[in-house]
Amino acid sequence: MTPQPPDPSEPAFELIGISKEFPGTLANDRVDLAVRRGEIHALMGENGAGKSTLMSVLYGMLRPDAGTVKVDGREVSFASPGDAMAAGLGMAHQSFKLFDSLTVTENVVYGAEPRRYGFVDRAAARRRVAELVEAHGLAVDPDARVGDLPVGVRQRVEILKLLHRGARTLILDEPTAVLTPSEADALFGVLRSLTDAGRTVVLVTHKLREVLEGSDNVTVMRDGRVVARLRTADTTADEIAAAMTGRSVALDRVYETGAPGEEVLRVSGLTAAGVHDAELTVRAGEIVGIAGVAGNGQSELVEALAGLRQVDSGRVMLSGRDITHASAARRRVEGLAYVPEDRHAVGTAPAASVADNLAMGHHRTALSHKGVLPPKSVREHAVKLIERFGVKASSPGVAASALSGGNLQKLLIGREIAHDAPLLLVEQPTRGVDIGAVQNIHEQLIAYRDAGHAVLLVSAELSEVRGLADRILVMYEGRIVASYPKGEADERTLGLAMAGGVDSARPEAEAEPVVPASRTAPTARPEETAQTAQTEKGA
Amino acid sequence: MATTLPAAARVLRSPVFFSVAAALVIGALFLIGTGADPLTAYQAVLTGSLGSDGIGSTLTTGTSVLGMALALAIPLRAGLINLGGDGQLVLGGIAAVAVGLYSPLPAPLTTVLAVLAGMAGGALYAALAALCDIKFGVPLLVSSLLLSYPAGSLASYLVRYPLKEPGSSLPQTERLPDGVALPAFGSSTVTLGLVLVALAAVAYHVVDSRTTVGYEMRMTGLNRRFSAYAGVERGRQTLQLMAVSGAIAGLVGAVGVLTFPFRFLDGSLTAPGYTWTGLTAALLAAAAPLGTVLASFFFAVLQVGGLSMERTTDVPRELTQVLQAIVIVFLAARLRITWRRRKSDEPQKESRKDPRKVGA
Repeated sequence: MTPQPPDPSEPAFELIGISKEFPGTLANDRVDLAVRRGEIHALMGENGAGKSTLMSVLYGMLRPDAGTVKVDGREVSFASPGDAMAAGLGMAHQSFKLFDSLTVTENVVYGAEPRRYGFVDRAAARRRVAELVEAHGLAVDPDARVGDLPVGVRQRVEILKLLHRGARTLILDEPTAVLTPSEADALFGVLRSLTDAGRTVVLVTHKLREVLEGSDNVTVMRDGRVVARLRTADTTADEIAAAMTGRSVALDRVYETGAPGEEVLRVSGLTAAGVHDAELTVRAGEIVGIAGVAGNGQSELVEALAGLRQVDSGRVMLSGRDITHASAARRRVEGLAYVPEDRHAVGTAPAASVADNLAMGHHRTALSHKGVLPPKSVREHAVKLIERFGVKASSPGVAASALSGGNLQKLLIGREIAHDAPLLLVEQPTRGVDIGAVQNIHEQLIAYRDAGHAVLLVSAELSEVRGLADRILVMYEGRIVASYPKGEADERTLGLAMAGGVDSARPEAEAEPVVPASRTAPTARPEETAQTAQTEKGA
Repeated sequence: MATTLPAAARVLRSPVFFSVAAALVIGALFLIGTGADPLTAYQAVLTGSLGSDGIGSTLTTGTSVLGMALALAIPLRAGLINLGGDGQLVLGGIAAVAVGLYSPLPAPLTTVLAVLAGMAGGALYAALAALCDIKFGVPLLVSSLLLSYPAGSLASYLVRYPLKEPGSSLPQTERLPDGVALPAFGSSTVTLGLVLVALAAVAYHVVDSRTTVGYEMRMTGLNRRFSAYAGVERGRQTLQLMAVSGAIAGLVGAVGVLTFPFRFLDGSLTAPGYTWTGLTAALLAAAAPLGTVLASFFFAVLQVGGLSMERTTDVPRELTQVLQAIVIVFLAARLRITWRRRKSDEPQKESRKDPRKVGA
């Protein structure tokens, strides 16, 4: 089922002079991309650079206006992803498309089941998946239920799906978005073994570190064109970033530590669905960062603090007042602002105008008088914030959905910062935001801190947490398992803690909130402590 | 409203205009198919509904259609669907007629009291549906619809037994005492009821565009999670909007008994289907205040004009119902097409950001 490529010297696929125009924009402008068989090729670029359009053209989801697609040296014209799959291409999307309640085997063969007398041949399916696992060293149990598997393993199931369908070229869209650093490393091991076996991998990503460590060649796109073709071995992160943005960008900047003052937020023994016994404090003039792999209770913790999730036990004090069971509205009155993780589904109403989006929250306080909310003050308020936070919107009346991800995020962060609340909760402030906008957002958060506010930051980007936070907490399995002062945690330490590799003893001493857990926790062999954490989770 | 020219252009490009135009064209094809002349038929609809003979009837029908459209549009603006309009309408009518018959006060005061009683009846009943949603988790769509039936049955019982007109063979109450009625304009059938409903429309427009309540209502309709995140309390909002919705439905019921036939006749309030025409109008306008008024008027014209068309030409009035249905089908199809286009446009959307993205 894995046909050998006809001629190993030919490119696995070639896109020649691809142009694709959408009303008003040239998404792809005569793009050439040739990917050699057996390489890991990274396709990089900011949001809107045209990578997705290009991959959609390759995968038969869009028809190009001009240009040709060649697979294995033959010119092809795919009408649908089905055609592309038949030609040996396979794409795995950022969000997994798996059935949690089915086994690995069932997920892998779904839609392409081996049949016998018209019925699904379960034994053959199982054999087939076991063979694939064996052949590629993927270390997945074919009989495990997908819902029980860690995220990193689910990713392998996605890859198995592609291999089962005979994909010789695998296109992976942001494959490491939800992985820990060590899971990401393991993924690259798998990808390398696939390319060693003659398959080809295309990574669509914006993570520089992985591209540098895991790829052979890099193609960088900007404004619909290819702006750089680099051999990974000969390039640097700065060179790629400069190509992506068109200017040099300070990457992974670590900001000065703040000057913490009064305690603003004190959370003690907080337990809610997904959160166990969380202890933490945030002081004025301090950013506390929470690191963790997505899905380890960070979102739940923040929701509980914001009043959107019921608290089962414990206490939340904001500026000395108990808000444990206060409504979301009450918390805002008491001085809490919140930038949620999902800016489209929660943080904004994309169909509403920019002005209406910017008014939310302010509509009850500054903008209205006795329930009257004049459209004029909504508009003026919007003009002011657009100016102050550099949101690029053609007018306050335009729908928020017309803004780019970065601009929408600036709108959201600007709106919440403008509340001037003593406590700001921020989740994933730069997820899906262009490198260019990231720096602006970081500076806003630092300035907010320096103005004497408390900030609780949740981010899956380790470099972001390390650069911004004055203290870093790590969440694992709904608990806060470690705490480090700024500069005392390198990526490896954090990565280990994020994978549960520290003792889950209460990390934050009441009197001395900056004692690093690494000092109190045993520094024993990571495997051992990881096991401890595992057993405790089961209890 | 501020600028007319872009607004006009927007109207021409809007799915509503497209749907209405398409319905008229397809309706014309139907007419040609049956051998009728579409121009004559449409002309009959217009002269029948807007001519001097028909305009009064159109405004009377329009009062009820607009009232029910507002009753459904107000919760719809916040994404809530009140399917219990019939029940609230009937309870409003029966409450108004009961007060009208038994109030010891002078006639003008009784009339005012009857209107208020009708509104209160509708409001309380709609609030009950809201409470089922908030307290017991019965979806509003279901609770409001199911509560509608017992309300109708209660009214039927009341006009057959306790409130029945002695000696009459019809299930109806006695006629209201002289003077307990909404004053009419001149000799027409148009009454103060139209003014009351129009005032409700104006109030809705003002609240919608210029108050915090209206703002929160719109934002909830556009993204429920967004408004919850910002602290809008869903339960309270649901209760308030449903109460207002029920009050307006009750007002329509009260107007229905305080004008001809000046009594409650079982089934007479719900038979013309104002609730459903109103819902259609509210949906067509996406619950926007001005649009709801226009759509209600449009459907009133179709309803009244259809009758007149049947009289003057050979075309059955059902054609106007066909037109109404086609408008809705096109509107629904059109929404779906734009939705699908948006989905397939995702790469495009991304690329559209290009020019803006760099200078952060």
